Amino acid sequence: MNKRVAQKQANRVVREQLTAERRRTRTLWITIGAALVLLVAGIVGWGVYKSQQPETFAAPAGVTDVGGDKAGLTVAGGGSVPVEVYLDFLCPHCRDFEASTSDTLNQLAAQNKIHLVWHTLGFLDSASAPPGYSTRAANAAACASDGGKLAQYGAALFANQPAEGGPGLTDDQLVDLGGPVGLNAPSFAQCVRNGTYEPWVANVNAEAAQRNVNSTPTVYVDGKLLDNPTADNIRAAVSAAS
Amino acid sequence: MRGIWPWLATVARLVLGTVWVVAGASKVGDLAASGRAVNAYRLLPYDAATFLGAVLPFLEITLGALLILGLATRLAAVVSAVLLAAFIIGIASAWIRGLRIDCGCFGGGGDLAAGQRPQYLSATIRDIVLFALAGYLAVFPRTRISLDASILDGGRDR
Repeated sequence: MNKRVAQKQANRVVREQLTAERRRTRTLWITIGAALVLLVAGIVGWGVYKSQQPETFAAPAGVTDVGGDKAGLTVAGGGSVPVEVYLDFLCPHCRDFEASTSDTLNQLAAQNKIHLVWHTLGFLDSASAPPGYSTRAANAAACASDGGKLAQYGAALFANQPAEGGPGLTDDQLVDLGGPVGLNAPSFAQCVRNGTYEPWVANVNAEAAQRNVNSTPTVYVDGKLLDNPTADNIRAAVSAAS
Repeated sequence: MRGIWPWLATVARLVLGTVWVVAGASKVGDLAASGRAVNAYRLLPYDAATFLGAVLPFLEITLGALLILGLATRLAAVVSAVLLAAFIIGIASAWIRGLRIDCGCFGGGGDLAAGQRPQYLSATIRDIVLFALAGYLAVFPRTRISLDASILDGGRDR
């Protein structure tokens, strides 16, 4: 073989090896860089979540530790059997539940047979546009608890329940709903507009999730989950517990 | 790899990347809800579930961006396959245990209300198809119109 041809071939082999080597090095660095980016993305996610979780929060007047640390609001009744309702003011099934059981629950509370507790959740925040109606409504209910009108105001929220996917009631509308039930004080309007208890609602959400409550309405009677919470079943469970 | 295959791999890359971005974006607005969706599988302790719920949306969006750009495709495909395998196991286990939950794949999540039917079969099939795409890209990561190609081939000394 011609010496020059052989030399040329050898040069080409070396060049190709160098190119392949460079590719490997670059691929390695790209991979390491991308792995770091993924790691940072995860850390950012955790940081954002942490920054969204309030460490301290103001709790409304009617707060109770039934079902978790500052996890609910006393609605009515001083009875010994706690009846806990997990609800979301945007949830249509919760409205139906309220319509079909409120007479029974109010009666049992008036007879002091039960201690009626609402866990006012913001689970459906993403079901309104813009998001967040559930939490705003739950905050307004907490404000109503300060004014001593939680049961009446909650009923008004359900009676005026907006459709899922819409904007929900405005803060002004939430304030106006208080008027007919006797929530006329400027402090109520201020509480609704400032979202005073929204950090507390986040606490209610977290306490509920820790108890594996993942949907609404969910009912606990005397600390036990009631599978099919009809008015009759609630009455029966209360009798069994008292 | 010649002919049509690198183009099909490009399509696989873009499909997988788009699904990740959409899935991540649907959850990123409510990280607490994302944590509750993970918790609803009842597989992890609450704190671990909230951690995963907060981390996943950001991870998904970043993975999607890498795949759409075609950067570090093999790594992104391997991580995708691992995540999808975990999702498939999670959904299958919820199914087997008779839980009635929303998979929370694209936001939402949690127990279903009475009368709602779980969509385990369609979610499983979808994740298996995506897993296959990820697996293919992990084995053949060289695709057309990718940053990988322009960095590795475009920057070559001539």
